[in-house]
Amino acid sequence: MTKKTKWFANGYLTLVFVLLYVPIFYLIMYSFSTGKTMSHYQGFTWAHYVALFQDARMIQIALDTLLLALLSALIATAIGSLGALGIYATKKRQTRNALLSLNNILMVSPDVIIGASFLIFFTFLGIGLGFGSVLMSHIAFEIPIVVLMVLPRLQEMSTTMIDAAEDLGASSWQVLSRVILPAIIPGILAGYFMAFTYSLDDFAVTFFVTGNGFETLSIEIYARARQGIDLEVNALSGILFVFALLLVVGYYLLTQYTAKRQKAGVKRP
Amino acid sequence: MSKPIITLKHVYKNYGDTNVLHDINMTLEAGKFYTLLGPSGSGKTTILRTIGGFVTPSSGDVLFDGQRINDLPANKRQVNTIFQDYALFPHMDVYDNVAFGLTIRKTPKEVIEKKVLRALKLVQLSGYEDRSISELSGGQQQRVAIARALVNEPQVLLLDEALSALDMKLRKEMQVELRDLQQRLGITFLFVTHDQEEALAMSDEIFVMDDGKILQSGTPVDIYDEPVNHFVANFIGESNIVPGKMLSDYRVEFVNKVFECADAGMKPDENVEVVLRPEDLDIVAPDAGKLVVTIDTQLFRGDYYEVIAYDDDHNEWLIHSTNPTKDDQRVGLFFEPEDIHVMRYGESEQAFDARLETYED
Amino acid sequence: MKRKQVLFEMPYFFWLAFFVIAPILLIAYQSFFNIRGQFTLGNYATYFTSATYLRMTLNSVWYAFLITLFTLLISYPTAYFLHYTKHKQLWLLLIILPTWINLLLKAYAFIGIFSQDGSVNQFLTFIGIGPQQILFTDASFLFVATYIQIPFMILPIFNAIEDLQPSYINASRDLGANNWQTFTRIIFPMTMSGVKAGVQAVFIPSLSLFMLTRLIGGNRVITLGTAIEEHFLVTMNWGMGSTIGVVLIIAMFIIMSLTGEHKKKGRKHND
Repeated sequence: MTKKTKWFANGYLTLVFVLLYVPIFYLIMYSFSTGKTMSHYQGFTWAHYVALFQDARMIQIALDTLLLALLSALIATAIGSLGALGIYATKKRQTRNALLSLNNILMVSPDVIIGASFLIFFTFLGIGLGFGSVLMSHIAFEIPIVVLMVLPRLQEMSTTMIDAAEDLGASSWQVLSRVILPAIIPGILAGYFMAFTYSLDDFAVTFFVTGNGFETLSIEIYARARQGIDLEVNALSGILFVFALLLVVGYYLLTQYTAKRQKAGVKRP
Repeated sequence: MSKPIITLKHVYKNYGDTNVLHDINMTLEAGKFYTLLGPSGSGKTTILRTIGGFVTPSSGDVLFDGQRINDLPANKRQVNTIFQDYALFPHMDVYDNVAFGLTIRKTPKEVIEKKVLRALKLVQLSGYEDRSISELSGGQQQRVAIARALVNEPQVLLLDEALSALDMKLRKEMQVELRDLQQRLGITFLFVTHDQEEALAMSDEIFVMDDGKILQSGTPVDIYDEPVNHFVANFIGESNIVPGKMLSDYRVEFVNKVFECADAGMKPDENVEVVLRPEDLDIVAPDAGKLVVTIDTQLFRGDYYEVIAYDDDHNEWLIHSTNPTKDDQRVGLFFEPEDIHVMRYGESEQAFDARLETYED
Repeated sequence: MKRKQVLFEMPYFFWLAFFVIAPILLIAYQSFFNIRGQFTLGNYATYFTSATYLRMTLNSVWYAFLITLFTLLISYPTAYFLHYTKHKQLWLLLIILPTWINLLLKAYAFIGIFSQDGSVNQFLTFIGIGPQQILFTDASFLFVATYIQIPFMILPIFNAIEDLQPSYINASRDLGANNWQTFTRIIFPMTMSGVKAGVQAVFIPSLSLFMLTRLIGGNRVITLGTAIEEHFLVTMNWGMGSTIGVVLIIAMFIIMSLTGEHKKKGRKHND
């Protein structure tokens, strides 16, 4: 690249990054403002954070959201990893492709469709709306991403490695536990992680299938945002931003770690 | 003849309509080095996988030590395989890779350690126990794979294109080492390769394969000197193959001349193919030769000159000569009657062997 | 051994049957019932004869098209320039980071920024134009939707550019092409897969955005998604809502077949 285009490129990128981050920092900035609206910054205060931490209802919702994400991701990872193994073991190409297409339907479906169809489904079966229906829905839309994170790891794995393990006397259970699982652990971790963030992020599906009894942070923010500006929400966004930052760093370190481990091998104790 | 360890009887393998193995019969004796030689897609790896337990034959029997093992899964067979890509487990170090088979069998820890160290010593990798697989060179990985298989003390070791990932020099070294290892251990090796030089150098016996069939089996010398058909003659070594006519026993006509030869047992005036190996052709003065040719080009190959010449009927002749020649020079070609090898069209190995019996003593 | 394997996979196939196939069948089934629970083709008749529904559908497709177009125009150069930066993985992480902030918070931020005395209006006043109604306009809806979708477009395009072998570019230069020719004839065609994946990742969710239309569009913009939400959760006319849902599913399949095969890298749709 010439110097001129380099200047242009850097300028352009700077602009995009500013566009991406200004709204977020704008939000966080006003969480420290003594005013009541998101205009005319009026001096520093922790008041909104204090209010947030004294808001027992908000704390309860946050904990519920976290529990929902951890639990649904755990179950989805278990089911999805086994599903990936199943798809991988399918010898017939057509069956495998058909399974994959079915798997991806929930990945590409708009959330309103998922939400509406699950709502019909639960009503049809007479399942009451609440934590249970939300948990099932979250597990359901998290499974395909787990499969998509695990399957490439399985496909990258050299098939002769499995043959070799069998050749050396390993039973199918031993092949799974001692050769396949160690090879796909990074995919399973990444799958859990993605499932977790999907759950935290979800609004639309939860909006459809939650009754009156159960709320997540997304639902609560929506309800409050419809009523106008509430700087307690800004304080919440500040906390969530730090949380997201930690997650990103954690994820980055995790991928670095597994990449390194793959490269350097694990030392025998 | 020592006792057979592996026997394949009328083994067929079909995938849908495609026939990958066609009536494979072979017997491997204990303690010998065998090679399956053929171009890619000829079915040699399928045979290996059939013996290893990864492919179930569509029909026919696989016997191990006289027992039918068709339905015995791979993890229960007393054979081990060296895979083409070595298939070392990347998440384990060298020690754990080699120990894998023993830990599966719940061998006591002290025994494992003793055996692993001995296996690593055998492949000259003592001191590499704690290395991770990715730190090793291709040749070292190859050795780990060998140690990992040998530590289980298999009766038969299957090697699937085991050296093809190595560079030329290392490959030659490993050929010597593998042959040496096999002789010291006294177990049966079945080696799969598409490299005819490798097969000739290492084997006690070679099976030449094409298109799912075994075309010929025998010692390297037999196969080189008496190829059963055009394919084998072409695939193993270089050759001049010309059409001819068998006038009577020991008399063959090609390039419009009649020659004395060492073959017999064919119908009078039968159309045949004649093989002359390039190193059997000697360049002599035009009047001393059995054929007169004109030199076209020559390439220096290091230990010999590869000469291409044409006779007056425009047949091409490939000659390996120790001395240089001049382009466009007219020279004579001399060869002994035994250097002529006559092949019948469509003759099977069994028929070929039977015919040889009739006139050889 | 075979039987044990099937046992392990049971939960996954259970999921496929009950949470993938069954809901789609149910939504199709539901679309044939009116609000009193009687079987009818009336929902489809209404949909295809009512000017309101057809205009809404066209509007929704038009907005989704605009959002996708703007997103693409901004994202392609970004992905391209990113490819040439040092520490590009770090920059890419910074592009992805905003997608991890809850979508509703980002929408909420714009309620503040675009409000009557928000920063944008303060700026407009400062340069003498005077405050404008920004929130609850079509433009604000388009702006926020584009803002939200940008990272999802950058990511697949960036990956496609990364996958491009530099030797192709060198070969093109070697054969005499200048930068612009190399870009239009080599780089862009060879990264089309990324563009297609991006279009797919942006267009379909844009058809169904409903919380944005409520929070930012102020109910002025009605998308297919808004209509479905309205029928399911407000007017309780599930039959009509399902009919629109079926239309949306068909639209989704059309888009997917148009944008062809793709590999999707972990991304979540948002509304």
